[in-house]
Amino acid sequence: MSGNTQEDLNALDDEAFRRTVRAWVEANYPPELRNPPKRLHWAENSPWYFRLAEKGWLAPGWPKEFGGMGLSPAKQIILIEEYERHGVARTNDHGIVMVGPLLIQYGTKAQQERFLPPILRGEHIWCQGYSEPNSGSDLASLRTEAVLDGDEYVVNGQKTWTTLANDANWIFLLVRTDKAAKKQEGISFLLVPMDSPGITVRPIVNLDMHDEFCEVFFDNVRVPKDNLVGEPNKGWTMAKALLGFERIYLGSPRQSAYALVRLRLLAERMGVWEEPDFADRYARLRLDLEDLKALYETFVAQLRRGERLGPDVSMLKVIQSELFQRITEAMMDIAGENAGLLEPMGGNRDLHPSGLFINARPCTIYGGSSEIQRNILAKNVLELPG
Amino acid sequence: MSQALAMDESERADSIRLIRESAAAVAPRGGDLRRIRALRFEEPGFDPAVWREMADLGWVGLRVPEEKGGAGLGMGAFCALAEELGAALVPEPLIPAALAAALLAADPAGEAALGQVLGGRLLLAGWQERADTLEAPGSLDAPRLFVPMAAGAEGFLVPVREGGRLTLRLLPREAADLAIDQTQDGGNYGTLRAAPDFTGGKLVAADLGGALDAALDEAALATSAYLLGAMEAAFAMTLAYLKTRQQFGRPIGSFQALQHRAADLKVQLSLTRASVEGAAAQLDAGLTGAARRAVVSRAKARAAEASMLVTRQAVQLHGGIGYTDEYDVGLYLRKAMVLANQFGSARLHRKRFMALSPEAVEE
Ligand SMILES: Cc1cc2nc3c(=O)[nH]c(=O)nc-3n(C[C@H](O)[C@H](O)[C@H](O)COP(=O)(O)OP(=O)(O)OC[C@H]3O[C@@H](n4cnc5c(N)ncnc54)[C@H](O)[C@@H]3O)c2cc1C
Repeated sequence: MSGNTQEDLNALDDEAFRRTVRAWVEANYPPELRNPPKRLHWAENSPWYFRLAEKGWLAPGWPKEFGGMGLSPAKQIILIEEYERHGVARTNDHGIVMVGPLLIQYGTKAQQERFLPPILRGEHIWCQGYSEPNSGSDLASLRTEAVLDGDEYVVNGQKTWTTLANDANWIFLLVRTDKAAKKQEGISFLLVPMDSPGITVRPIVNLDMHDEFCEVFFDNVRVPKDNLVGEPNKGWTMAKALLGFERIYLGSPRQSAYALVRLRLLAERMGVWEEPDFADRYARLRLDLEDLKALYETFVAQLRRGERLGPDVSMLKVIQSELFQRITEAMMDIAGENAGLLEPMGGNRDLHPSGLFINARPCTIYGGSSEIQRNILAKNVLELPG
Repeated sequence: MSQALAMDESERADSIRLIRESAAAVAPRGGDLRRIRALRFEEPGFDPAVWREMADLGWVGLRVPEEKGGAGLGMGAFCALAEELGAALVPEPLIPAALAAALLAADPAGEAALGQVLGGRLLLAGWQERADTLEAPGSLDAPRLFVPMAAGAEGFLVPVREGGRLTLRLLPREAADLAIDQTQDGGNYGTLRAAPDFTGGKLVAADLGGALDAALDEAALATSAYLLGAMEAAFAMTLAYLKTRQQFGRPIGSFQALQHRAADLKVQLSLTRASVEGAAAQLDAGLTGAARRAVVSRAKARAAEASMLVTRQAVQLHGGIGYTDEYDVGLYLRKAMVLANQFGSARLHRKRFMALSPEAVEE
């Protein structure tokens, strides 16, 4: 990864940058992995991960001194837009988007040297251990505990809905380290190797009939205390600091834009494209998408100006996830009996209303459910009482 | 109201109560769904032994007149049964089989086959030539699409337009070229082809007349009732979850946003029940023609849309666990995904309603 290339990238104007990214992605992305119907496992997406690593493009947001591209937020968004345009699949990117930024901001130098390079080499594949069976929306009530015993923490408890834990060899955990403190104040960030004795992973088949998330059990798992990030009991603050990126990422119009193209293909296939009731419904969805893009742009512009995003970014996630769902519901409504098929219509992956409909279901649940986002808007933006 | 009519009313209520009770044999209220899970995504998609049991209970011929060997019960009873089956997600193909029985009852030529069907021989109608329609053109050779649970069929009944009439041809399973596609609920749809065309099948009705249209309407209404049962069950599960699931130190059902959501879903359930039961009662009271088709369309349009809404929200209100296959709530969503558009989508039925009875608006 030559430092030169990356300096050049940041110096480019936005359009030149976009063209450079587009050309490289088109030449290098494995064509068979475009727009996969399900989240890919590591065995499937690792060739692309390694190609990005080789190019030095794995970590757009990390500063260059840590091996990242050091891209401005605006250029990161362009990069994401180009990936989305080409149908580039998500990799096992928790190390890149969460662990890296966490350690760069809060980790010790020793931790940074120990953990960042293996992410860039594709040796450490991370998963996110926040949610528990009894702590989802109310994450701060989490109970998986880590008790200091000499130089080690002893971890007991259970995480769940851990996406791609079955691929990961490391997990970053929110654990309770002080049971006496107020619930947000006794939580710490702990980095744990998945091959530690006492860890059991049980994959869960999701509604899409895919083993995408897992339960992870911890039975007296011993973790060196050096694996704690930042100060003990300050994990909540750190976790919240990481959320900003997630909210804008989940608010990106990409899923809705992708789905709307499929809706049109389906409408043409079903012979309803020209029917007035459908045309009006399509127009409504299309305008919602255009307005979402415009709103999204205003948040991107804040990033471009170097501002921090406020709680109003919750709007983006609500609008995008629910628009995506409404588009897939429109697909179901016009597909006739095809809406009930398990596989794509006639083997054509672009015509799979039921698949996309199911895919769209969890978007209003993960990353802060629609209900929780609305609570945030009501309380933190509108400052309504209660 | 005349004495005779009042008698009919109480007889009708009795038959509905009795059929609900006997439904428990196959579809116990509140029973677990292990049986249903085990049958999913395996051919034929249902249990032939349970299917025979259902035939023995006389359910296939529930709507077939007594003089033809059926039970001669009304749509109220059929819908009550379908609702119970829906609440338990019973996969055995009663509604499509009852459709086949109705077609065979239309013509004396169908008598022998009807006897077999009432006894549990699974014949299914291959009438559909495109998606989302209630019209059967009866082409000689166009593939017949979306035959529900076709993987378990022992033969097919195919309406064919011959000499200006809609005849019915019986193809034994072996004579049919059948392709199977799995459905989201774990069942299947068959695509049926025949070379050179379907006229090679045995003639079991020389002229179906309006029997096919009438039977399709009854199937659409029974499907609405099945969806009603499924959404009731999904809603009951969700309501229980809202009362027990704790977050932020209290049951999530105490959050007003979710209370209003649950109230809205209840409204949809009540509208669906009123629409479906009202339609069944009107059919039993002898409603005919365009008015009959219009009430059926009203019920199916409502049931299709409400069942998708309720089962979608059931998943949402369960959070992460709702998005797992191992938790039962998703089974109801997958069932609604298949049945909402079977025998006409909400869109089709809304259009049909308006085409049939624009004057209803002025009343
Ligand atoms: C596909 C998928 C992938 C995931 N991946 C991960 C992962 O990798 N790592 C991880 O840690 N977690 C992951 N999660 C978990 C996710 O973060 C939780 O599902 C989410 O936080 C909701 O929690 P819950 O499932 O416990 O639902 P609950 O919190 O129990 O919510 C149930 C319902 O109640 C509503 N509700 C809750 N509180 C309120 C309130 N105060 N007001 C109004 N309504 C409320 C919710 O919106 C929801 O509709 C994933 C989830 C999914 C579906």
